[in-house]
Amino acid sequence: MKLMKKGRLPGAVAATALLVSGLGTGALAASSAGASSKVTISVAYAADTTFDTIPLGAKWWGAVQKEFEAKYPDVTLKLIPIAGGEPDFLTKLELLYHSAGTSPDVAQFPSTEIALYESSGWLMPMDKYLKGSSWFSQYPTVIQNEGKIGNHIYAVSAGENNNGLFYDKAILEKAGIKVPWQPKTWADIITAAKAIKKAEPKIIPLWTDAGTSAGPNGAGYGILNLLAGSQTPTIQTSSGKMVVSSKGLLETLNWYHEVFADGLGAPISDLFSENNAPNIPSALFAKGQLGIAVGANFLGGNWTKMVSFPDWPQAGKAIAVAGLPKIYGGGYASTLSGWDFGISSHTKDAQAAAELINVMQEPTNMIEAANWAGWVPPVKSYWSNPEYANFAAPFNQAFGDLLPWSTELPASANYSVWVQAIEEASGAIAKTPSTTGAQAMAQMKSFITNQLGPSAVVSLPQ
Amino acid sequence: MTVSTLSTEAVIGPDLARLWKTRHDKERFQLSSLTLLTPAFGLLIILFLIPMGYAVYLGFTNLTLVGPTSVQWGYTGLQNLSRLRQDTTFWSSLWVTAGFVGGSIAGVVVIGYLLASLLMRARTWMRVVVGGVVVVSWMMPAVTAGMTWYASTIEGGALGTLTGLHNTNFLDNWPLVVVTVANVWSMTGFSMLVMGAALRNIPSDAIEAAIVENASSWQRFRRIVLPLMRPTVIAVVLLTALLSLANFGLIYIMTQGGPGNSTNILPLYSYQQAFTYNNLAYGALIGNVMVLIATVFGVLYVRVAAKS
Repeated sequence: MKLMKKGRLPGAVAATALLVSGLGTGALAASSAGASSKVTISVAYAADTTFDTIPLGAKWWGAVQKEFEAKYPDVTLKLIPIAGGEPDFLTKLELLYHSAGTSPDVAQFPSTEIALYESSGWLMPMDKYLKGSSWFSQYPTVIQNEGKIGNHIYAVSAGENNNGLFYDKAILEKAGIKVPWQPKTWADIITAAKAIKKAEPKIIPLWTDAGTSAGPNGAGYGILNLLAGSQTPTIQTSSGKMVVSSKGLLETLNWYHEVFADGLGAPISDLFSENNAPNIPSALFAKGQLGIAVGANFLGGNWTKMVSFPDWPQAGKAIAVAGLPKIYGGGYASTLSGWDFGISSHTKDAQAAAELINVMQEPTNMIEAANWAGWVPPVKSYWSNPEYANFAAPFNQAFGDLLPWSTELPASANYSVWVQAIEEASGAIAKTPSTTGAQAMAQMKSFITNQLGPSAVVSLPQ
Repeated sequence: MTVSTLSTEAVIGPDLARLWKTRHDKERFQLSSLTLLTPAFGLLIILFLIPMGYAVYLGFTNLTLVGPTSVQWGYTGLQNLSRLRQDTTFWSSLWVTAGFVGGSIAGVVVIGYLLASLLMRARTWMRVVVGGVVVVSWMMPAVTAGMTWYASTIEGGALGTLTGLHNTNFLDNWPLVVVTVANVWSMTGFSMLVMGAALRNIPSDAIEAAIVENASSWQRFRRIVLPLMRPTVIAVVLLTALLSLANFGLIYIMTQGGPGNSTNILPLYSYQQAFTYNNLAYGALIGNVMVLIATVFGVLYVRVAAKS
């Protein structure tokens, strides 16, 4: 039970939990006391995709429901778990939003959907409920702005995903690379991968996601991190046009070409696997079959006993994390893609909905969600909290430290077409490594222009 | 001898002559039948024509699943149609659909016929066992068939093990071929049952007469079996075309239309437009194109069924 687990947290955090949950608590208690009948609010969420395992998700939401109903006896919380993969979840949630009668009071959805949902009129501004909130003020600015459209906040973070480089220390040492390893440029990564291939020909030197099998998020765990570190990382211009050719895109696709043309990448049977492709590196590392991976923070949590993908107690000693460098150095690059909570514009009880978000934002709940869903919690002080840092040490804290280098992905309807195109381009290179970066970019440009029309796209100087 | 010509009226009288002239071999229209047909017409209008008409209309709007035009949307004329005309992904998807449907028809008809004719000669127990297994594959839901074929054709799957090509990923290397074979596998049971029934209805004396006349087995097949089975074969072809055209589930489970667009048949492209790219209206328009194609096959099927 969620409340009993509070004892596991250090006292200071438990005390903070009581303090930070306090926006409008009294108001709801007062309003509910006078109510003649019980209020019911609902919360919709992805039952199968956000948490590392389905039972962990059920456990977290069940505990939140119990805690919320115990705290607010006059309010019933109806859980709406939505089954399916992420695209299926989004479709089903969007269909719920189409009618005021079925619209959930609170929903959890990816940050890339916030702008779309706001423009559909489905979300209400949360500003007045966030005034005086201690947890929201502790978010880094980049995460505070995740749900900001115009001058209003429409969603608050549930947890974030960022990316970096994982590497097998023993394999790198065998290849003559000194550890701890921190490449300074993209060329350093290729050099290391080539050294691994030479020293250990049976090992996959470098994992970087390619193809469409992981859905729109797959690119966020792979190729878009490289683009973020290129000389022109822009995906969508300020005027809303999608970038279909640029120096950055060419650099990124050329790097992919180099990886696959030199036989450094993973086989397409793994890259194109419908079976959870972004998580495959954690299984390959555990088998000693992978040298380096461009991967998301959740890979670290995969090796814990609770997630067991696979359970690998030695992971913390065998595998290390490095920041993904920018193309010619000068810092790190990563995408930032998170999940958020939003309140429906059709909610029957906005105050109760805000209180539910307060409960979910309590440190215990946020840290458990981060551990069980493979997120970096949005509140900076939690990154060094032992409950979070030790859950998947040393990976969790390492990705917390890398978070400030991360950049948000665009949130627009056209992004779904754009991301499909770049995934197809990376897949084309992985499948036919003779495909050059320029050819892949031309294929991408053709697809996006065909789908969105010439007026919605732009070519930047190369 | 002189043959005099008398009018019918003169022979049987005017009343009987009027009855005599009434054609009884043609369908007659009676106004009262409209009353009896009204409920069926009503259901047809409510359950088919109105939704269908609405779907056609949606194809000419700017409705999206999310965003401002999910709330305020309207008629946009021929805009979507013009986009469809220039949409290279749509045309490539149309070709992929043609390959998938054509390959499925060829496989289902040939393998269904071969299985049916082999089973005609088989021992009873073998007929029951083989027939049963084939029919089970037909009755399998698309999700089960898709998962089975996905697991069998990826690297390290059953097909690689059986052929000794452990490291070959059949699904990613030959995606359209693999999904077509999977579709053939799942539909052959139906074809075998129908072909088997048609084969049993071929008169044995015709075959025996041909044997007496020293007709070769190819001649017997071409001159007797095939002409007699023609309506059945055409019906199988048309039904396979219709069922394959609508087989969204199998490919969605195996490849989701990929890698790239190599298995992106029209139903998947319509789904992708409507629910991945949120373009409900454009997805509806692609759906309307599928309805048109299916209508052609449907009309042909009804005509063949009526003739036979």
